Amino acid sequence: MITRIIGLAVKEVIHLRRDWWLPAFMLIGGALELLVVGWATSRPITNLPLMVLDQDLSRASRRVVTALENTGTFAPAVMGGNRQEIEEAMDRGRINAALIIPPGFSQAVASPNGRPVLAVILNGAESVSATAALRAIEGTARSLGEAITVQRLGLDPETFAGFDPSLRVWFNEALSEAYYTVPAELALMLEFVVMLFAALTFSRERELGTLEQLLVMPFSSLEIIIGKALPVLLVGFFSFNVMLALVYFAFSIPIRGSLLLLELLAAGYLLVEMSKGMVISIVSRTQHQAFLLVMMIGMTDFMFTGYAAPVESMPEVMQLIANVIPAHHWLEILRGILLKGAGLDILWPSVAALAILGLVIVTFSLRFVRRALD
Amino acid sequence: MSFRRIRAIARKEFHHILRDRATLILVLFTPTVLLLLMAYALTVDLQHVPLAVLDYDRSPASRAFVEQITAGEDLDLYAQVNSPGELEAMLMRGEIKAALILHPQFAEDLHAARGIPLQVIVDGTEPESGGFAVEQIGRRAEEFVTRALAGRLQTLGLPAGALQPIDLRVRTWYNPGLDPQNDLIPGLVSIILGFPALSVALTLAHEREHGTMEQLMATPVGRAELLLGKMLPYILVGLFNAIFIPLLAILWFDTPFNGSFLLFFLLSAVFLFSILGIGLIVGVFMRTQAAALALSFLLIFFPGFFMTGVFFPIASMPEIVRMEALSLPGTHYAIITRSIFLTGVGLEVLWPYAVMMAGLGFVFVGIAALFFKKRLG
Amino acid sequence: MPEPIIDTHALTRDFGEKRAVDALDLSIRPGELFGLVGPDGAGKTTTLRLLAGLLKVTAGTATVAGYDLVKEPEAIKPRIGYMAQQFSMYGELSVLENLHFFAEIYRVPSGELAARTARLLEFAGLAEFTDRRAAHLSGGMQKKLALACTLIHQPQILLLDEPTTGVDPVSRREFWSILTGLHAQGTTIVVSTPYMDEADRCAVVGLIYQGRLAMCAPPAQIRSRVPGEMVELIPGDGRAARRVLAEMPGVLEIQTYGESLHVLVDSAGRRLPRLEGALREHEIAYKNIRQASPRMEEAFISLLRQMNEDEEE
Repeated sequence: MITRIIGLAVKEVIHLRRDWWLPAFMLIGGALELLVVGWATSRPITNLPLMVLDQDLSRASRRVVTALENTGTFAPAVMGGNRQEIEEAMDRGRINAALIIPPGFSQAVASPNGRPVLAVILNGAESVSATAALRAIEGTARSLGEAITVQRLGLDPETFAGFDPSLRVWFNEALSEAYYTVPAELALMLEFVVMLFAALTFSRERELGTLEQLLVMPFSSLEIIIGKALPVLLVGFFSFNVMLALVYFAFSIPIRGSLLLLELLAAGYLLVEMSKGMVISIVSRTQHQAFLLVMMIGMTDFMFTGYAAPVESMPEVMQLIANVIPAHHWLEILRGILLKGAGLDILWPSVAALAILGLVIVTFSLRFVRRALD
Repeated sequence: MSFRRIRAIARKEFHHILRDRATLILVLFTPTVLLLLMAYALTVDLQHVPLAVLDYDRSPASRAFVEQITAGEDLDLYAQVNSPGELEAMLMRGEIKAALILHPQFAEDLHAARGIPLQVIVDGTEPESGGFAVEQIGRRAEEFVTRALAGRLQTLGLPAGALQPIDLRVRTWYNPGLDPQNDLIPGLVSIILGFPALSVALTLAHEREHGTMEQLMATPVGRAELLLGKMLPYILVGLFNAIFIPLLAILWFDTPFNGSFLLFFLLSAVFLFSILGIGLIVGVFMRTQAAALALSFLLIFFPGFFMTGVFFPIASMPEIVRMEALSLPGTHYAIITRSIFLTGVGLEVLWPYAVMMAGLGFVFVGIAALFFKKRLG
Repeated sequence: MPEPIIDTHALTRDFGEKRAVDALDLSIRPGELFGLVGPDGAGKTTTLRLLAGLLKVTAGTATVAGYDLVKEPEAIKPRIGYMAQQFSMYGELSVLENLHFFAEIYRVPSGELAARTARLLEFAGLAEFTDRRAAHLSGGMQKKLALACTLIHQPQILLLDEPTTGVDPVSRREFWSILTGLHAQGTTIVVSTPYMDEADRCAVVGLIYQGRLAMCAPPAQIRSRVPGEMVELIPGDGRAARRVLAEMPGVLEIQTYGESLHVLVDSAGRRLPRLEGALREHEIAYKNIRQASPRMEEAFISLLRQMNEDEEE
């Protein structure tokens, strides 16, 4: 049986050679995509356009503007002439935030009881940027406020140091965005690559009419399935490593845990996603259908991996569903091994979950596909 | 250019779409399902961020402090621990996203107005939750301190607000609660409306794979006629979505809609024209559907998702990548969509984006027509 | 002698290293029923695709329907009808919808559309199946539908690539009667076929082998090119008979057809009795030994053998 499976797998590989661009796309395209997307999304929010209407024109007001620019969140501020300019710039979406320093600002700063006013207008049409802008502005306001209080009360500047919590960041000392976004993007690309590839296996043959030919050959269904699965797994595994190397070298994502463990678990995860793809490929009559199903299932999975929002923040129901999504556990494992240096002792809940889910999915898929082929 | 031929090709394509029931259902429902899913899963306000506390002081003040920090839905007290080792383990296991360590002199330092020595440890693998936790803790700490020190401040003759003299007045335009859902959903709408491009890529490859292309190429049909005819049904599908999906957003998610629906509709048509142009290019170059699928995922789907400014601001992207983002029709359409939904502006503001999309569209369709040869092999 | 409607000079097409069509010189007159005959891979499909403007010409020139194939291939398309070898119609569309589609593509005047459609459906025997999806038609009907679609614009030339391959014999005959009818109306028809009996029905046959035109002549002429004459018999033991007869003087070639042996000799009159004698000598039973006229099969195989021998020299 082994020889026949190998024979079938070899035939698949030969076919692949004719359509060599398919695995090539999957590998190179996937890696390139990851590179570009990772690069695009691995920077903290910065360079946001800001407009300042300085009606005070004092040293104090200039200090405020400089402090804001120094936060790194904003591009060099554009000085506006009047409220109309601000309105227009906002309407046109040219700025994310506007700061109005009213006349009398410096006086309020200097006077012992004065409450200097800073007016901020946020462009709520881009809430992500607006939130980042707000954080930066609030932070600046707070530190400026502390400086003022220190001065007024004649306090030791060190006093207020104690009012800011000291922060330690674990696993990501440099607070690199890339640590957060890039592993998640890797997981997403990998899932899509493998599922898409797998989803095309049988649906393609069915659409082009060659499935019947395959079925009359002296292979058992199991052999056919394994023979088709092997190239997909191989390409997927290779793809994973190409992408891993990419994130390691291009984005400096470390591999703090055991590489061997990672590879093993990756192989397991690939098997699970491939099985899903196989089921899709059998259920679909055309490649178009297969693709639409992959999209839906892939995007659904993706939602639950906690990419844009952590899973804890989701409604109860969705948190429960997240537990049956293999990709969710896989991302935990990926992040755990890469960033936390976690071993099996820490990761075992995710691994166990993945294993159980995997077992269920693979067994079901195998039986389903086999029955469909017979 | 013969309109008759374009119509014939379009009609045939329609039959093709309508008669494959399973695919039709998928094509019609995928956008809706995706919108619902994405809107729920991606726009949650951060809540229930698990936090652990290591309180070395264990005074009434420190306990009060911890209570204040964890009151409310956003920060959950996962556990109170007795050693740093436990904190470490929990962070490792991902049970907590942040930890708070109160030093033994917490109450003393607080009453002496020496500040509140706090240490916050944050799980850097998820800067979102971590950063959020730090922010909330900082804010609550400030409130706590201000209240605790109110008495002291009075004796010093200072108003209660002395610790924070600056009066920061914040107003948010277009999205009063700064609800992320309000701008994310229009962004999602703009992404989803571009999906027909993938189908267009497939349909050309489909004809090649099934051999019908050969017959078609032997006829006098023009290249542009063929490409436009193939695009037409998908533009219509897209326009149907352009009515249905925003309605869904408005009615189901209460997303505000402040602009002109007619304008949105028209600009959606321009967008469809340009994004389908990319689909055509993929379809022209790829010989099989599998290849067309792979390439369209890479050129249409992933960039449309990540690089159109919906999740990450374009301004923050590195220069070169930003250039690439601006050459995507989806980027301009995302701005248009958000503007029409939230800002409520009209063509006088949006025309540059419309022009850009139209221009890109002509370029893409032009490239496709140029490279589409009526030859085999 | 009227101007040829298809005229090629040294028409060549390469696929990378492989030369699929090698310096073809074809001259087809208007209204001719031309058969392109040859084994698989000989270059029939490539030749037809070249003539239809579907493939780029590697070398050589050609004129089709008065237009230069290399310079203005698109101008030729309204004047020809091309039928691909594999089924190229739209499976989810009905018979009528397929016909209408091509009618629109060819811009058949709307006034004539209904009449032509009706006539073609009748002609092709598809009148009862107008609403059936093309994918649900039998093989023979599919071919007829494809043919109908190539005729909707009343082309001057028909290029048909193996139109009857894979079709049952009854449908095959029906198909050919349609073709003959068309031929009678004056359409130039170029048919490629691997079937020798179909070659016989053509006015002129072009034998194509390994991309080259081995011979181009009316069927009778080709048949007469077979060296010598032919003796046919049904032997009891074919192999033994072959062995014996091959040794005999005057025997040029022996071909096996099922149970019979076709023996090509220099003169049937002289050799037939000798052959009988030899068989009887070796006690090989036989039946129905007689002189027969060589058919296209024999001619073709014989020619091929000659060509191979010439190659080896």
